[in-house]
Amino acid sequence: MTILYDEGQQAIATESRRVLEARVSKDALLPLLETVGEYHRPFWDTAKEQGWTALALPEVHGGLGLGLVELGLIAHQAGRSVSGAPFLTSGFGAAKAIERFGTDAQKARWLPGLATGERIGAVAFADGPDALPRRPQLTLTDDRLDGVARGVTGGLAADLAVVLANGPGMPVLAVVDLAGVQRDAVASFDNSRMIADLAFTATPAETLAVGTAARDAALHILALQAVVTAHEQTGGAEVLMEIARDYALTRRAFGQPIGAFQSVKHRIAELYGLVELARANCIHAAAREGQPDFITAAAAARLSATEAYDTAARDCIQIHGGIGVTWELGLHLHMRRARSLAIEQGSSLFWEDVLVDRLAGEAA
Amino acid sequence: MSDLETYRAKAAAWLESMAPTFGREARKGLSEAEDLALGRRYQKAKFDAGYAGINWPTEYGGQGLTHLEKVTFDAEEMKHGFPNFYFGISLGMPVPVLMQFGSDKEFVKERVLRALQGEEIWCQLFSEPSGGSDLAGLRTRAEPDGNGWKINGQKVWTSWAHYSDYGVIVVRTDPTVPKHKGLTYFWVDMKAPGVTVRPIKLAGGDSHVNEVFFDDVKISDDHRMSPVGGGFSVALTTLMIERYVATDSAGFGPHLDLFVDLAKDTLLGGRPAIEDGRIRQQIARNYAMRSGLDSINVRARLMMQAGMIPGAEGSLNKLVAVRSRQKLSELAIDLQGTDGFAFDEHASQKEDWASSWLNAPTGRIAGGSDETLLNTIAEKVLGLPQDHRPDKGIPFNQIPA
Repeated sequence: MTILYDEGQQAIATESRRVLEARVSKDALLPLLETVGEYHRPFWDTAKEQGWTALALPEVHGGLGLGLVELGLIAHQAGRSVSGAPFLTSGFGAAKAIERFGTDAQKARWLPGLATGERIGAVAFADGPDALPRRPQLTLTDDRLDGVARGVTGGLAADLAVVLANGPGMPVLAVVDLAGVQRDAVASFDNSRMIADLAFTATPAETLAVGTAARDAALHILALQAVVTAHEQTGGAEVLMEIARDYALTRRAFGQPIGAFQSVKHRIAELYGLVELARANCIHAAAREGQPDFITAAAAARLSATEAYDTAARDCIQIHGGIGVTWELGLHLHMRRARSLAIEQGSSLFWEDVLVDRLAGEAA
Repeated sequence: MSDLETYRAKAAAWLESMAPTFGREARKGLSEAEDLALGRRYQKAKFDAGYAGINWPTEYGGQGLTHLEKVTFDAEEMKHGFPNFYFGISLGMPVPVLMQFGSDKEFVKERVLRALQGEEIWCQLFSEPSGGSDLAGLRTRAEPDGNGWKINGQKVWTSWAHYSDYGVIVVRTDPTVPKHKGLTYFWVDMKAPGVTVRPIKLAGGDSHVNEVFFDDVKISDDHRMSPVGGGFSVALTTLMIERYVATDSAGFGPHLDLFVDLAKDTLLGGRPAIEDGRIRQQIARNYAMRSGLDSINVRARLMMQAGMIPGAEGSLNKLVAVRSRQKLSELAIDLQGTDGFAFDEHASQKEDWASSWLNAPTGRIAGGSDETLLNTIAEKVLGLPQDHRPDKGIPFNQIPA
């Protein structure tokens, strides 16, 4: 079952779009590409001020008690404007892990700060190509964490991280305070993602879940984040489709707008199809949170959104011709973001496997 | 349970009870004549049970319900493989247009009632040898003849014309004006002198489409369903109705579950094909596409329930679903290797990969080709310019052939 957005949800979409369009511009984002260790602070200030950090967290811990549908709407708009920081998604993932699997004390310690946005959360499960490694590269012994978590989005700025580690004979989901942890910035093609390698050396960490439950929990957190990211990707794809359409209407060649050539107009019509399929899957997945088929719905949303954003980035630039590859026009902001979002929360290869395991009845 | 769910449950139960008599199993081994006869009895049974003309006015024998009940019933009906396709065009387009534009109300009422009970079948005479997508470029002409008209020319791809009692037809009545403006819409008696129907055998082996020839076919002016020269807008009405037919994210081919089962049962290099990354990727991609369409269609229903007009994204259904079905069917045959050679020409496109593959090109062309649908999305949804049309605004008889 899917849903239609109600009036309140539509208002969230309209208002967040208005605010972001007023406060985020490519001129502010472009220099960040050439700066390691910096993100777009006005974006993050806006997120905090507007309550987006609190949106999907429980009221008892300072949240607004809304859900994935509403956060997805914000993420969609953030995607349209090329979100200036990754913390909405990373903080949401960390907070949901603590909310669902933490003790009351852990919740009280971490959630209020994540809700206000004063504290930034990160999620560090991946080991290179493996989004959810069977043998994590971190080890947890006597509540002490060792090892290096590589390529953690938001890791340069995060105050805490939720990690998957090898515990005594079984995997462990744990939360770790990052104060004093060594962070090595990863110079990336999309630097405002604040990517870092986090090196833990007997760092105190608190267990959230162990054994099979830890893996299941980690997959669930990834799926929640994947649905948020899928909305962001869909927003990016949507705005690129619109930019391509607008350019094809105004740019003329051979005596007519280039949008009158079928090779161009069909390319844009195909983008429309990809965007609408992704949007439909996103709405469906967000509405399935807590249902038995949530992981399946999240995987479908993730796959179609990744395809939509990557394709829109390729084709929008192609339709622009020479001007499309200039630094100044900034379409490469989307092209870069399409790829960084495609990797965060597990690539298409990962989600294809998750999805097919479920469809074939082989789910763990 | 909502009213609609109650309706669905009741319809499902009735359809279930009809399946032994009219369903997939009952049709096995029947000749087409026998199958059509069974189809007529099934249509009569639907009429008697109140499932014919679900969203049509009661004064014409319909049920006076909404499009929602109709779509709900169709979705349930699709599961059983009933012999209903003989009436799909008839009740889908020509008869609703007759209700809307027919001038003689008593005549219309009698035709509608007979069509609803499966006694009479109507066809739609639009496409011609010189053009399908370019409908307004048609050449079949009607000339004044006494108080009526005389039709000469040829139509093609006319579904079920060989079983049809009547047809609706668009013809050129004035070749001296630009092409859209010289068309007029009529109904014709398919048994009238001068009408010749010749079935066309399609690539898949079946012959449900026809060539239809008109040689001095005389009709009276009361057959006219549009103003003289106003036929194109009535034809567009027909095409609008066409958009509201039932959707199927499987592109009217096999369900993805059947592909998953095939992949589980097939060994590839000694291992189940379901473990092969190439196969897995296609399953995942097809699932994501189909679930997107399903969500689009559910939202369209919710919007109609809420009294809203569904978004334009519904136009993606046929475009996306059928071409995906075509490729997936090819892959399914690849999976079977030499076992995939076996072919049963009577197999269902919804259950058999070879049949699905062989008939997929028809699905990508009939009712608007992929290219036409992309143009429609580009122009009507996204506001991109029309293609360059050298025949625009030029009198029809001055367009270079």
